[in-house]
Amino acid sequence: MLAAVDRAAAAAGLGPGMPLADGRAQVPGLKTAALTPLEDARALARLAEWCGRYTPWTAVDPAGSDPGAGAGLLLDVTGCAHLFGGEAALAADLAARLTGLGFAARLALADTVGAAWGLARFGCDRSTPWRVVPRGAARAALAPLPPAALRLSAAGGELLARFGLNSVGALYDLPPATLEPRFGPELAQRLRQALGLTPEVLSPLAPVPPHVARRVFAEPVMTAAPLARGLEKLAGGLCRRLESEALGARRLELTVYRVDGSLRRLALGTSRPSRDPDHLARLFAPEDIDPGFGIEVMTLAASVTEPLSALQMVLNPEGGAGAQDLAGLVDRLGARFGLGRVFRQRPVESHLPERASGLASALDPAGPAAWRRGRPRPLRLFAHPEAIEAVALLPDHPPARFRWRRVRHEVVRAEGPERIVPEWWRDDPGQAEARDYFRVEDAAGRRYWLYRAGRRWFLHGLFA
Amino acid sequence: MTAYAELQVTTNYSFLRGASHADELVIAAKALELAAIGVADRNTLAGVVRAHVAAKEVGLKLLVGARLVPQDGPEVLCYPRDRVAYGRLCRLLTLGKRRAAKAECRFTLAEAADHGAGQVFIVLPPERPDGAFRTALAALGRRLPGACYLAAQCLYRGDDARRLVELAALAEACRTPLVATNDVRMHEAGRKALLDLVTCIREHCTIDQAGYRLGANAERHLKGPEEMAWLFRSMPDAVARSLEIARRCTFSLDELRYEYPEETTGQGRSPQEELERLTWLGARVRYPGAIPERVAKSLRRELALIEQLGYAPYFLTVEDIVRFARSRGILCQGRGSAANSAVCYCLGITSVDPAHMDLLFERFVSAERNEPPDIDVDFEHERREEVIQYIYGKYGRDRAGLAATVICYRGRSAIRETGKAMGLSADTVAALAGTLWGWSREAPSDAEVRERGLDPADRRLRQTLELTCQLVGFPRHLSQHVGGFVMTRGPLSELVPIENAAMAERTVVEWDKDDLDALGILKVDVLGLGMLTCLRKGFALLKAHCGLAIDLAGVPPDDPEVYDMLCRADSIGVFQVESRAQMTMLPRLKPREFYDLVIEVAIVRPGPIQGDMVHPYLRRRNGQEPETYPSRELRRVLEKTKGVPLFQEQAMQIAIVAAGFTPSEADRLRRAMATFRRTGTIHSFRRKFVDGMVARGYDQDFAERCFRQIEGFGEYGFPESHAASFALLVYVSAWLKCHHPAVFAAALLNSQPMGFYAPAQIVRDAREHGVEVRPPDVNRSDWDCTLEPAVSGGLALRLGLRQVKGLAAADAEHLVERRANGYPDPIVLWRRAGVTSRALEVLARADAYRSMGLDRREALWAVKGLPADPLPLFAAAGEEERGPEPAVALPAMAPGEQVVEDYRSLRLSLKAHPLAFLRAGLTREGTAPAETLARMRDGARLKVAGLVLVRQRPGSAKGVIFVTLEDETGVANAVVWPDVFERYRGVVLRASLLAIEGRLQREETVIHVVAERMVDLTDRLHELAAPAADHPARSFEAAQARADEVKRPGPDPAPPSRRPNQPRRHPRNVDPMPKSRDFH
Repeated sequence: MLAAVDRAAAAAGLGPGMPLADGRAQVPGLKTAALTPLEDARALARLAEWCGRYTPWTAVDPAGSDPGAGAGLLLDVTGCAHLFGGEAALAADLAARLTGLGFAARLALADTVGAAWGLARFGCDRSTPWRVVPRGAARAALAPLPPAALRLSAAGGELLARFGLNSVGALYDLPPATLEPRFGPELAQRLRQALGLTPEVLSPLAPVPPHVARRVFAEPVMTAAPLARGLEKLAGGLCRRLESEALGARRLELTVYRVDGSLRRLALGTSRPSRDPDHLARLFAPEDIDPGFGIEVMTLAASVTEPLSALQMVLNPEGGAGAQDLAGLVDRLGARFGLGRVFRQRPVESHLPERASGLASALDPAGPAAWRRGRPRPLRLFAHPEAIEAVALLPDHPPARFRWRRVRHEVVRAEGPERIVPEWWRDDPGQAEARDYFRVEDAAGRRYWLYRAGRRWFLHGLFA
Repeated sequence: MTAYAELQVTTNYSFLRGASHADELVIAAKALELAAIGVADRNTLAGVVRAHVAAKEVGLKLLVGARLVPQDGPEVLCYPRDRVAYGRLCRLLTLGKRRAAKAECRFTLAEAADHGAGQVFIVLPPERPDGAFRTALAALGRRLPGACYLAAQCLYRGDDARRLVELAALAEACRTPLVATNDVRMHEAGRKALLDLVTCIREHCTIDQAGYRLGANAERHLKGPEEMAWLFRSMPDAVARSLEIARRCTFSLDELRYEYPEETTGQGRSPQEELERLTWLGARVRYPGAIPERVAKSLRRELALIEQLGYAPYFLTVEDIVRFARSRGILCQGRGSAANSAVCYCLGITSVDPAHMDLLFERFVSAERNEPPDIDVDFEHERREEVIQYIYGKYGRDRAGLAATVICYRGRSAIRETGKAMGLSADTVAALAGTLWGWSREAPSDAEVRERGLDPADRRLRQTLELTCQLVGFPRHLSQHVGGFVMTRGPLSELVPIENAAMAERTVVEWDKDDLDALGILKVDVLGLGMLTCLRKGFALLKAHCGLAIDLAGVPPDDPEVYDMLCRADSIGVFQVESRAQMTMLPRLKPREFYDLVIEVAIVRPGPIQGDMVHPYLRRRNGQEPETYPSRELRRVLEKTKGVPLFQEQAMQIAIVAAGFTPSEADRLRRAMATFRRTGTIHSFRRKFVDGMVARGYDQDFAERCFRQIEGFGEYGFPESHAASFALLVYVSAWLKCHHPAVFAAALLNSQPMGFYAPAQIVRDAREHGVEVRPPDVNRSDWDCTLEPAVSGGLALRLGLRQVKGLAAADAEHLVERRANGYPDPIVLWRRAGVTSRALEVLARADAYRSMGLDRREALWAVKGLPADPLPLFAAAGEEERGPEPAVALPAMAPGEQVVEDYRSLRLSLKAHPLAFLRAGLTREGTAPAETLARMRDGARLKVAGLVLVRQRPGSAKGVIFVTLEDETGVANAVVWPDVFERYRGVVLRASLLAIEGRLQREETVIHVVAERMVDLTDRLHELAAPAADHPARSFEAAQARADEVKRPGPDPAPPSRRPNQPRRHPRNVDPMPKSRDFH
C-alpha cells in the first residue's frame, strides 16, 4: 500500500492508499521505499526540537502525523516573532530554512491553532507556501476553505458535503443549535476552536525520561583516568535506576559532550540484560573515547532494556554461574573485537552433513539448540571430503578396502548406505550427485565415514 | 523372474503428501511390470476412482484401500478383500469424518479394528518402533489373525539392514508377517522437487526453512520387482508376501453396483408400473383433449426402452423431486440427455413440448451404451435450498449426499503457493501470477517474465515456474458440487465415505461427478437458476395485474412478434441471448422458430467457435453456400444443422460414424473432453480421430476442425438436449419481455442478482420500451418492485426499496407494514415505523421522501436532526422536549449532483444520464453520441465516450477485450486488440467513464468500434458532484461494477478468478462495491 507519494507520482495518478502492485502496474519503474513510521515519527520529533530555535513551545501536531495527509508541527510563537523581525519575517525565514533542509512545507500563522492548521493545509499552495493572518481576520480567512480545514474526521466532512456545505463560510450561516444533533459535538467544537471561541491548549514537546545517568565534570577532562572513573560513576547511577525498575540494559549509549559543542556517541549491546556496574563500565574502553578539546558532560543511557528481576545469591556456583561467565566473556570479547565477530555454533536443518551446522552471533538468544539425533555423524567432519581409492563389489555395498592418504585400510565392518541427495533448490555448482554414505570400521578398529558419489569415493569424517 | 506388488502408494489425493497423479502411478506401475498396485490415501477414498479407471485402461490389478491414520496408534494400510469389507471401510471413514471438522477425520485404532473384518491391515512402523507400537501391533495381530501384516521399507536411511532385522523380529513376535513396501509418494524420482514443494506448502514454510521435513533422498518412488528383490535380498518372503496380499484382495470398484432408491413406488406397484401410470396420467393433463398419436407413440417407445434398461426408478426419483417443487410453487425445468423426452414432458420434469421438438430419445439414452440417463433440474435460485433439504429429509443423510468438486491448483493458486514456498517475495509472486492465466500449463515466456521486471535466468525463478507447471492440476481440497445429489437404496456410507461440507447442514461424498459417472452411479443435479426465479415472479405479477394465469408450458408458442423482437437483438434481460456475443449473433441468425433458438443458444459457445463452425452455418442458413454433406452417413447426423456440427451429441456421433469409434470409446472421449484441461488425456484421441476420419475418406481439414471443436466442447460441453431446455426459457422470457415489459422488468429487478445486466440497464431498457418507471418512495414502494396503474392506462414500474443500497430488508418490512395511510413527515415515519435512524438516512440518500415534498438534501437534514434511537420507555417523553427547529436554507443540489447521488444510492438514476451533463464538453472534443454510430459508414474514424458497462475477455477470442460503453443516447460496443490493450491496460481496466477513439467496423447490422486510443475520463464524473465530495465517482464504479461481474446462468460459467489485476482503491474512498469479476 502506498502511504505517501511525491508530486511526480501524484501527477501520474498515484495516491496514498493505493496498493503497491497497482502503482507499479500504472507507473512501471516506480521508486518506492518502505514506510518507517517509527523513524518518521522520530524525524518529526527532531524537527519539532529543531524548531525550538523560534520558540520554546513546539509540538508535533497530534492531528497530523499521517504521512500521507501531511505531517504537521505546531509552534506557539506568541511573543517570539519580534526576535525575527515580525511574524511575516519569521514565517518566511522558517519556510526558507525548511526548504533548505529538503522539506516541502506549508505554514500559516493565525490567532488559533485551528485556524493556522486549516490555513496551512488548505489555504496555501506552492506559490504561497506561507501565510500570516492578522489578528481577528481568521474568520474571514477560513470562510472559503473546505470544511475539512476544521480538522474533521473523514466521515464528518463527507456528511457536510451531502448537505452542500462545501465551505467553512457556509457553516457560519447555520443556526449553531442545528449543528450538534446532526454532526455531533466534533464540528461545533472544531468550529469554535478555529474561531477562538473555545481555547485550545498546546502541549509542548517533552522528552520521555529515559534510563539515563548524567555526569558533569567540574573541569573539562581529557585523560583516560578521570573518564574511567566517570564511567564507573555513571554505570553505578544507571544500574541503581535500572534496579529500581527491575530492568537490565541490553543496549547502552554513551554520549560525551565536548567543550566545542560537538558531541560523540558510542553505542553497544549486551548479550543478556545486565545491570552489573562493573560489567557495564568495562564495556567502554576510555581510550576509545576521543576527548577532543575536553569533555564537559557525559551521559550513559540504557536505550534498550529488558526485565531482569533481582537475583538470588547462588549457592551452587557450578550451574548458573557458568552461563553467566560465558555471557561475561562474550561481552568482553565483543567489546574488544566487535560483537559481530563473536560466534557460536548452531544446528542447521540440512541433510547434507557439511551444512548441518552454522555460525550464529554469540548474542543470539538461541535457546538450547536442538542438534539432530538418530543419524550417526562422525565426531570430526572434514571441511573438504578427501578423495580415496576404493572399490565396492556390488552396488549399494561398502568397499572391501580403501586407500586414504596412501594408507590401505581393510574394511571389516560396515553399515549403510545412507543416501543423501543434493539440495536441488540451491544454486551450488559441483554437488550434482547423490551420495551413499557408509560407516566402516577397519581392521585396527578405527571407524570412518565414507561416501560414494557416482563412481568416486570420498572420506568425509572420522568417528572416535 | 521375481514379482512384486506395491501396496503402499500415496497419490496426490493425500493432499500435499503425494507428488503424482493416480494415473501416473498406475501407468508407471504397469511399465515396471508390477503385479499389482495398492492405492491407499490418507483417510480417504477420494482418489481411488481415478486409479481404478486408469488401472482398468492399462490392465493392472488395483487394490483399493485407504491409509488409516488413527488418533491414538500407528498408521495402517487398510485393503478390503470384498464388497462387504469395502462398505465397512467406507463406514469407518464416514464415522471419522462426520464427527470432525471439514477435511479432518477422527477415529481410534480400536474403532479401525472394529471395522477390520474382511480387511487386510498392513501396519506401518514409526521411525523408531517403541513399546507402545509393539503393544498396538500385537493387539491388532490378535484381533485380525492372518490378516494383519507389518510393513518394512528399505529407503537408504543408513540403518536399513539393522532395521529390517528388528522389524522381522517384531513381526515374528506379534505374528504379523513382514511385507515389503516402498512408501511410494511419486511415480518417478524426478518428482522429488515437487514432493519437497508440497511438503513446504503443507508445513507453511519455505524450502530453505523446511530442513528435516524434507526427505534426505528421492527413494520414495515406484520400484520394479528386481530392485525390490535386491533391496530385500535378505528377506525374499517379504516381497513375496505382497503378492499374497494382492491375491487375497479381490475387491474391485466394478462391484459397486448402483441401486436406485425405492421410495418412489407406492402401493405394491413395480417402478415400471408406477412410472407408466404417472406418465399416462400426466399425458392426459398435458394434452387435455386427446393425446396426439405421435406423442403417444413416442411415449410407448420410450417407456419400452426405459423398461428394457431398468431406469424407471431413476425417472421416478427425479419426478418425485420435481413434484415436491411444484407443490411448493417452485418453478423448475429439467435438462440433460433424458430430459427432453415425451415421458419427462408428461411427468412435468420439462416443459419442452416434444410435439415441437424432434429429439430422438434413443440418441440420448442408448441401449448399447449402458450408462445412466442424465437429467439435471434447474430450480429457482432463491429457493433451491428448500429442494435440497427436502431430499436430505426424504432419504436421510446416510442415503443422500452432495457430490464433491475437486478443487485443483490452477495457474494463479499454483504460482502463489509455489512462490511462497520457494521463498520469493510477495511482490515477485504477484508479478508472476500476473503472467499466468487459468489452467494454462505453459510457463510464461522469458519475455513475459522480463516484462514484469524479473530475471528469467534466475535459477530460483526458473525452478518456481517449472514446479508451478507440475503443480497445476493437482487436487487441493474437496468442495461441494453445486447441486449434484447422490441417492441410494442402501446406506450411502457403504458406497463411498461421506464428509461434512463447509456449509452447515450439508454432507458431501468424496467423489466428484466424473468419479460417479465412471462408476455409473446415479446423480441428480439440483441446480439454481436465476431466470426461473424471475419467471415465477413474472407469472405471479401477470396473475395479479393482468389476470393471466400461465406457466412455462402455457406460454403461447410460435409468436412472430417475439421472434421479430429477437431478430432486432432487442434482448436485454432475456435468458441466455442477452450477452454481447449473443446479441451480435441474433440479427445474423434471425431466429424464426423454436429450433432456431436451440441453435442460437448452442452456437455462441467455445466449441462451435473454436471449430470454426459458426460462419459456415450462417452462410448455409442465409443460402450463401450450398448445404453439402461429407458423406451420406453424416447427413443423418448433421441434417438438422445444415451439415455443420454444432452440438456435443453431433461431435460424438461423428466420432462413431465417421472416425470409427466404438460407442464406449466415444464415451471415453466425452469424458476426456470434460477433464482435458486437467489431465490432457484428450490428445491421445486426436490421432485416432483424425486418422479414422481420413481413412474413411474425409477431408483432413474437416477432421481437424471437428476435433478442435471437440476440444472446445471440453471446456463447456453444450449438448443439444441442454440447449433445448434453455431455448424454452429463452422463448418464455422473450415472450414476457415482448408483451409485458413492465412485468418483465419488475420480475428481473426482484430476482437480482442474476443475468448479464445491472438494474440501471434493465430500467433503461424498460423505459425505452415505453414503461413508466417511478422512483422508490417511502410512501409508495414495497421491498420488491411493484406495478402501479400508469397514467397512460398500462402498468408503471415502481422501484422497490430493495434498490436502495444499504437498506436492510427488515427495516423496509417494518416501514411498509406500518405505513397505513402514509407518513406525512419524517418524524412520524421515525416514530411509527420503528426503524433505525440509519435506515431513515439511507432512504434520504436514495431521495425516497419526495412524496413528503422533501428532496434528498432536505430529507437528510430532517432525518439527521432526529434524536438518536430512544429507549422505548422514553419514546414519547423525549418527543415533548423537542422544540421546533429553526428553519435552514440549504444550498440547492445541482442536477448533475442529483444524478450522481442517485447512482450512488440506487445504482441508477431516473432523472438523467450522467453523460447528458458532460455532453457539451464531449462534443467540443469531437466525441460522437452512441446513437449516431448506426449512421456512420464502415471504416469511419470516430470517438465515443460512455460509462463502462461490460469488460469481457472471452476465452475463445485470443486475448481480445470487448468493452461496452453506455451514454445518454445508447450503447456502443468496442473491440480492443491485445496490443492496444497492453498499451492501455490501466485505462481499460480502471476507467468507469471511458473515451475510445478508433474505427467503425460494420458487419451486417453489427457495429463495433475498433479501439486505437483510450482515455480515462472518470475524473469528469467528480466534476459533476459537489466539489468537496469525496470522489463520488466511486458510485459509478459501484453501479457499473456489475459490468465486470456478469454471471452467465446455466452451464456456461465464466471460469472464476481469472482476471487481471483489478485496481483497488483506498478503502476510505470506496463505496462498498460488489467484487468485480472480469470474464473471459
